[in-house]
Amino acid sequence: MVMATKKGHIPSCFSSVELLVSLFYGGTLRYQRGKPDDSDRDRLIVSKGHAAMALYPILADIGYFPESELAQFTRKNAMLRMYADPSIPGIDAISGSLGHGLGIASGFALAAKQDGRLQRSFVILGDSECYEGSVWESAYFAHHYELDNLVAIVDRNGLAIMGKTEELCRIGSLEDKFRSFGWDALTINGHSFAEISKAFSRVGRTNGKPLAVIANTVKGKGIGFMENRSEWHNRMPNATEQEQAWLDLESPCLSH
Amino acid sequence: MAAKPKLMRDVLIQEIFARAQKDRNIVFISADLGAESLDLFRAQLPRQFIHPGICEQNMIDVAAGLAMSGKTVFAYAMASFITARCYEQLKVALGAMNQPVTVVSVGVGLGYDDAGPTHYTTEDIACLRALPNVEIWTPSDEESAREITVECCERPKFRYVRLERPALPKAHHGSFRASMSQGFCEIAPGGDAVILSSGFMLHRAMVAREQLKMAGIEVAVVDLFRIKPLSARALTSHLSRFSHVITLEEQCLAGGFGGAVAEAFADHGLTKPLLRLGLPDRYFFENGGRNHVLESCGLGTSAIVERIGEFLAPSHRRSTHLPTVPTLSSF
Repeated sequence: MVMATKKGHIPSCFSSVELLVSLFYGGTLRYQRGKPDDSDRDRLIVSKGHAAMALYPILADIGYFPESELAQFTRKNAMLRMYADPSIPGIDAISGSLGHGLGIASGFALAAKQDGRLQRSFVILGDSECYEGSVWESAYFAHHYELDNLVAIVDRNGLAIMGKTEELCRIGSLEDKFRSFGWDALTINGHSFAEISKAFSRVGRTNGKPLAVIANTVKGKGIGFMENRSEWHNRMPNATEQEQAWLDLESPCLSH
Repeated sequence: MAAKPKLMRDVLIQEIFARAQKDRNIVFISADLGAESLDLFRAQLPRQFIHPGICEQNMIDVAAGLAMSGKTVFAYAMASFITARCYEQLKVALGAMNQPVTVVSVGVGLGYDDAGPTHYTTEDIACLRALPNVEIWTPSDEESAREITVECCERPKFRYVRLERPALPKAHHGSFRASMSQGFCEIAPGGDAVILSSGFMLHRAMVAREQLKMAGIEVAVVDLFRIKPLSARALTSHLSRFSHVITLEEQCLAGGFGGAVAEAFADHGLTKPLLRLGLPDRYFFENGGRNHVLESCGLGTSAIVERIGEFLAPSHRRSTHLPTVPTLSSF
């Protein structure tokens, strides 16, 4: 998809792949195949919008749109764009500007509570996205309105575009920060399906608290030469690098 | 004697409250701005009232999420904080996703008169006008505030409604609703010239009109209460019978109300002398209240009368390099 048009942000996607796979195929998200318009399905916003494209193959796989759209990614008049927005079936909010997803999802979650619907809302935040003050405005809000139907998953890959978060402007412990805002929070290995699945088993069992899952990840996970290298944020591999990337991806890279 | 006019915010909230009692999907969010009428709303409908903290960015994102879930949402705060402060959220969550939220601002222009530049909202028309999908409405009295609120309740869309902080006297007499589709309404007839204004300054235009009349100059006054979308064709057609057009606003001139009119003129080939009266390109730190600041900017009533008088005077007088003669300063 990406290599066909050479557009997109590869490493940011690979840091959240296991999280997305687990959400959709591990029984966490409630949805029906082929029914993106079902108003009761769980909501998901990939608020770190540069990685929202990681959703596209999954949405095609669950029948929200034809798989043929994937090869058309970013092409003229095609459906799938660099940053996702609700014109794409299964995309619940616009992305591309950081710091909106948690607030919009808080609106979804509050409406669901007011209407007595069981729908839950999930948001994938980037760790660097958490620099945005609006994320913490939403964190206050979700705690006060007891949005235990809201889950924030932070893709803690430790990198911003220009380098390591802890060297650029220190973030520190996001688990402590969310806890101090009144959330239930835990930190996991974001590439371990076992740990992800255990974390998601807490959804709906947080006694009135929203849940924050801090997923420690590796930006570019699975492609050796991209892993933890900020310069690959929006760089495209050449032919040799592509070949190496495929080899890397085909070898087992998951921790269990 | 006429009853004391109500505050626009009370008119708006009472209308919403009456409907919210019957419609649980109506939600009112306030970023810490109160109103007498809001106290009743909060007490009676606590589920439908949301206080997000002094927190405009999140308020707008939450409003979008609620609207996407089928709620009729009103987001309410002081004018300067619900516009520039959360402009990105207005653009992304409400504009780009085209969500039917009514954004209600209170105290536009220099309305928070002793507060200075942080509270003045002298650029909100320019800012909001640049966003696709939004409608911008400025009521000028109780009747227009009520009718605009009814529209927002019955046909929700992304609207920016600009409320005055103080109560304003009547400008409309039962005919506001009929003019809503075209977005403007002539509230006082006149001769060759017309003043276009809205909100607080509309009333100043009416006072200026009376003073000009005493000097033998007849001008009409048009309430241009919806500056976006501008019914440019209807407006330019309506204005074609006047020789001179004046716009009067409590906004900086760059990109504001008069700018929108000038653009409509250019786009529709209307070539008429146009005088844009508004605030100069600076911030305002003067103590002394709203009228004092306006006077210091040449927007006191007598200065407005004088500037319009000069504008309408024969062209040979305007082409001299002499200081302008204050022929009308006695008014």
